[in-house]
Amino acid sequence: MNHFLQVVAEYLPQWGPRLVEAAWVTAGLSLAGFLLALVLGALLVALQRSHLAPLRHAARGFIQFMRAVPLLALLLALYFGLPSLGLTLSGYGAGILGLGVQGSAYVAEVLRGGLDAVHRGQRESALAAGLTPRQVFMHIVLPQALRVMLPPLVNCYVSLLKDSSLCALIATNELMLTARAIASEDFLPLHIFVLVGLFYFAIAFPLSMLSRLLGMRLARGRRSMGGSPGPSRLGAFPRLRWRRLRAARLPVTERL
Amino acid sequence: MNPGSVPAILATLLAGALTALQIATGAALLAFALGLLLAVVNVFVRAPLARATHLVIGAYVEWMRNVPALAHLFILYFGLASVGWQLSPKVAAITGLGLVGAAVLCDVFSAAMRALPAGQREAALACGLTPLQALQTVVLPQVLQFTLPALGNYATQLIKDTAIASAIAAPEIMFYARSLVTSTFQTPLIYGCAILLYASVIYPVNWAFARLERRLGAGR
Repeated sequence: MNHFLQVVAEYLPQWGPRLVEAAWVTAGLSLAGFLLALVLGALLVALQRSHLAPLRHAARGFIQFMRAVPLLALLLALYFGLPSLGLTLSGYGAGILGLGVQGSAYVAEVLRGGLDAVHRGQRESALAAGLTPRQVFMHIVLPQALRVMLPPLVNCYVSLLKDSSLCALIATNELMLTARAIASEDFLPLHIFVLVGLFYFAIAFPLSMLSRLLGMRLARGRRSMGGSPGPSRLGAFPRLRWRRLRAARLPVTERL
Repeated sequence: MNPGSVPAILATLLAGALTALQIATGAALLAFALGLLLAVVNVFVRAPLARATHLVIGAYVEWMRNVPALAHLFILYFGLASVGWQLSPKVAAITGLGLVGAAVLCDVFSAAMRALPAGQREAALACGLTPLQALQTVVLPQVLQFTLPALGNYATQLIKDTAIASAIAAPEIMFYARSLVTSTFQTPLIYGCAILLYASVIYPVNWAFARLERRLGAGR
């Protein structure tokens, strides 16, 4: 163990800058992918709430299909397959597209769940009070739904971030590919892969904690169910208690 | 592109499907057994020891869940080999995906056990069942029923994740797909077939879990 740390410390000046640079690529890749997933996911939800049955079925089918396809197969198909159909993407572009398209299926489920969680009475009374449907959505439904959506959306981003490591296999210079390159130069695969794991951990773990913290905040505001959800104070966080955070996972009964 | 070669492509990919199935089964068994064990320890170990078990299991779960599966596979396959412990690609894939799955299922089972009313276990103990009997006959059956949807999600995810094993040269579906591509260059057709093959396994699995849920009235 001590020897392990010594070796890592010895090579860190060499590896550090390269890994940090690659971490920015990973961040850009995953954020762009997530942005695309949000846009496509919102579109899918809109389609699912359409009045036209074929559109609803198409959106539903797309979501189910995307959840049944391994990301790696999708990425390889986009990166190696599309050129022979006349569309050439860089590894980075194919990565964003693949992550975004598959992520949109998961994001859509989260967005739909959030909208469904708003009690229908909220919408009905707002309409009865004379608000236009657009106003109802923007001022009544969406703010309440956002509270429900936020924690699982952060989780979506975390899994997208982890999935972005697969872009190493389509020649994108992100963390994992850089780690592989370093491993083949210095012949220290154990050290470099554990180190790169720590890089991912350093981004993903705080976000996972944030997601749970948001979830606990939400659960507290929700205690007064039935009546008004109470004043929204997302800014006021409960004190961070490790044990309670560990226990505060998202509900397990929901089928994703 | 030559659609006539689809049967030949599918036949080659099916050879990899067997390995994928072995990896998924092995990883699922490891994940289920270890995840359940960790959850039981996590939830039922009491005061003096609880601090240590929470810390160790918490650290394990967070490390496994916040690092990409690909990194775990590389550590197990390339990393361990460099210190003289050479695993075969298949074994490394089973171990890696299984250890990640154990962390996921540990969370799932822990949450379900905490959600179960404490009276269930207390009543079983008051009836004279030993703690182990209470766990086996009262707690676990309800926990399993309660967690079926999450188990279904996990099963789907696991089948998809077996594709990652091709990165450490385990001869599964994507591995054969990639080698087919380099020899025949029918790229879109081959990856299309691979995608359909995965989907044709995952749809029935999803359907089976949904049906099981309805029959057992999971979640209630």
